[in-house]
Amino acid sequence: MKTKRLVTIIVVCIALIVAALPLLSACDGGGKEDKTLKVGITTPTTGKAAEKGAPMGHGNLDCFEYINNELGGVEGYQVEVVWRDNGYDASKVVTIVKNFMDEGCLMYTTSSSAMMTASMEIANRAGFPGMAAFSSPIIYRPPQHIYGQMPDYGDDFLAFAKYYLDKVWKGSGKPKFAIHALNNSTGKGAIDAALAYADSLGIEILWDGQPGKAFEHKADSTSEMESLTRIKAMNPDVLYISSTPAPTALIVKNAYELGIYPGITIGSGHAGFTSAFVDIAGADIAEGVYGVFPTVSWGDDVPAMAKMTEYVQKNHPGDYEKRNMDYITCWAQSLIVAEILRVAVKNVGYDVLAKGDAAAWKAIEEQGIQKLKDYDVGGLHGPVSYTPGDNRLSKSVRVFQVQGGEIKPLTDWIDAPVVKYEEFDWFGK
Amino acid sequence: MSLPCGTRNYNYSEDMAIVRTKTHWVLLIGFLVILFTTPLYLNNYWLGVFNLIGITLIAAVGLNILVGYCGQLSIGHAGFIAVGAYTAAILTNRLEMPFLVGLIGAGVVSGLIGIIFGLPSVRVKGFYLAITTIAAQFIIIWVINHWGYTGGFLGIKVPYASIGGLVFRSESSQFYLITIIAALCIFFAKNLARAKVGRAFIAIRDNDLAAEVMGINPLYYKLLAFFIGCFFAGIAGALLAHWIGFLNAEQFSFTESILYVGMIIIGGLGTSIGPIFGVIFIRILQQVLTVNLVPFLESSFTAFPSGFATGVTPMLFGLVIVLFLILEPRGLAHRWALFKSAYRLWPFSY
Repeated sequence: MKTKRLVTIIVVCIALIVAALPLLSACDGGGKEDKTLKVGITTPTTGKAAEKGAPMGHGNLDCFEYINNELGGVEGYQVEVVWRDNGYDASKVVTIVKNFMDEGCLMYTTSSSAMMTASMEIANRAGFPGMAAFSSPIIYRPPQHIYGQMPDYGDDFLAFAKYYLDKVWKGSGKPKFAIHALNNSTGKGAIDAALAYADSLGIEILWDGQPGKAFEHKADSTSEMESLTRIKAMNPDVLYISSTPAPTALIVKNAYELGIYPGITIGSGHAGFTSAFVDIAGADIAEGVYGVFPTVSWGDDVPAMAKMTEYVQKNHPGDYEKRNMDYITCWAQSLIVAEILRVAVKNVGYDVLAKGDAAAWKAIEEQGIQKLKDYDVGGLHGPVSYTPGDNRLSKSVRVFQVQGGEIKPLTDWIDAPVVKYEEFDWFGK
Repeated sequence: MSLPCGTRNYNYSEDMAIVRTKTHWVLLIGFLVILFTTPLYLNNYWLGVFNLIGITLIAAVGLNILVGYCGQLSIGHAGFIAVGAYTAAILTNRLEMPFLVGLIGAGVVSGLIGIIFGLPSVRVKGFYLAITTIAAQFIIIWVINHWGYTGGFLGIKVPYASIGGLVFRSESSQFYLITIIAALCIFFAKNLARAKVGRAFIAIRDNDLAAEVMGINPLYYKLLAFFIGCFFAGIAGALLAHWIGFLNAEQFSFTESILYVGMIIIGGLGTSIGPIFGVIFIRILQQVLTVNLVPFLESSFTAFPSGFATGVTPMLFGLVIVLFLILEPRGLAHRWALFKSAYRLWPFSY
């Protein structure tokens, strides 16, 4: 009886706390600066993509902490970050973006292409500008109100294929590429690029039965032995993986166990090629795997590195110890958001933006994002510019390789030209 | 049905009435006035949450007919919602048909797919049937991802809902559309449960062998339950598609299917009010934890590194559901029934 009463009291307390939260959070912020610029940030900090989402969220928030505390905000206005964990849940992100619009955010960012895909139509309908750190062609082909911070998964594939043909391939004829793709927009980006450019690049794609159908896997896959056995039978020269770190590591490990690797070249798109991949696969097994990534790596001699390292060591030493490159991506993303706000404030003034309404969103897009010209993100990734008809803000990537357990750059920035996928009749079919 | 003190039924129409007393009518009218003036005092975000609740409610009512009334456990409901959503998207986007055709078409196609996956219910039940419905979830999503007409992994755009020249662009107009359809679905489900079909469902749920001996055709009624349950899922899917504007198979995850079962259990299986309570409870809890709790903790405990509070959401969400099932396994509907009984007898409850 006593236990039941105790449990009842606990439940009542939890219910009261939960019920009081909207009020408490509404009261929160009374002591903050009156004049702020609001931006919405959503990351999959929990859920099945948390190994990427958590450090990305850390990078975003730490960077704004730096901007507000050390740079005095943007043009003298503090940046108020409305941050929400979407749990990699497509239905949840829809209400989160509506929440951003209602809170008066000027724009929003997502870290993953999947979450941007789920929410983009809500934003496009309202004219609410958004930016995805990792993107696939579907989010901005044709271009509307959503922008890509960096080149997309299709660009990764093309950059890697060109690098492979120039620097690695020593055989004659066309090298044979097998693509192992995550069953969402992350994987689809690489498949579309392969479908569009394999012939002109001079490579042969080993499709899974029919053209356009790659070998695919799920984000929570536990074994890819079966698909890799079929790939092995096709005798590929290259296995290209477009996925997140955990499945990428699984595929590499399975390939190792089947004796496929070493023996062939393995390449990875940027969504999967981080320190988390090396950690999960193990440094020995991951050794020699190539990957494309659009940012510098930890310790590189670039202007933004010192401050970023200071913050990550102070707030999230675990991300630094793991040399997590996703943190760098989102630190850079926050710098770009701050630059967009700065340009927009300069062009239209604070009062237009203060309302956080449709007019403010239009101003952010037309007088902020679309006025970006060769903005240097402290050297963390390629220069950021808007080009009409191309909503990718940074257009360059680098090729890396796992060497001695660390991800080492092999090339300088490689520009990825825009691909107008919508001009292919199979796009979206 | 228990009635307030002093209330007697003197004819069949009184016995069958859903709204029975003057107090009922006053409360109902008051509720409808508050409901339909909601867009006046809620912002777009909360209207969006209410729209999501309305859509979820339609699907949950369908699942309640299938699981709660007929006893056919389905853990693939998100898959059937996906069928409805993609049917509406294909009909209105690719074939440029009107919204209402897409809506009804979504229900019918989803219902028919439900019948196909319901066929094993003739031979198996309980957990074994649940396994076949899990298969439905995965098969449906696989087909959506690999069939070009659905847009595959890239997804497909869906236009705004429109009837005649009336286009439902704003959150408030969509609120009215969704609320009216949800109300019609709840009314239908309430009456279905009291009609011959509903009684047959309940007889099959309680003991299908005894039901067959009484002359009820289990095959027919089980498949009918699958059709109706999935028809509702299809309608919900169509509304979801028009509300979000873009479909991607990831929006219909297995986790969502589990969540739907959780909603009707928490609300109260086999009751007409249960899904309403369950859906509101789960959806509001999700929003409060995501939009209020984590940001509140983050802003209150600034000494901790950013992002520290994220683990709280799934933990608390799970804890609340577990505690709920321990303390009130018969659902919120049972708690509501107890409250009503106490209120009606008050102050002479003994």
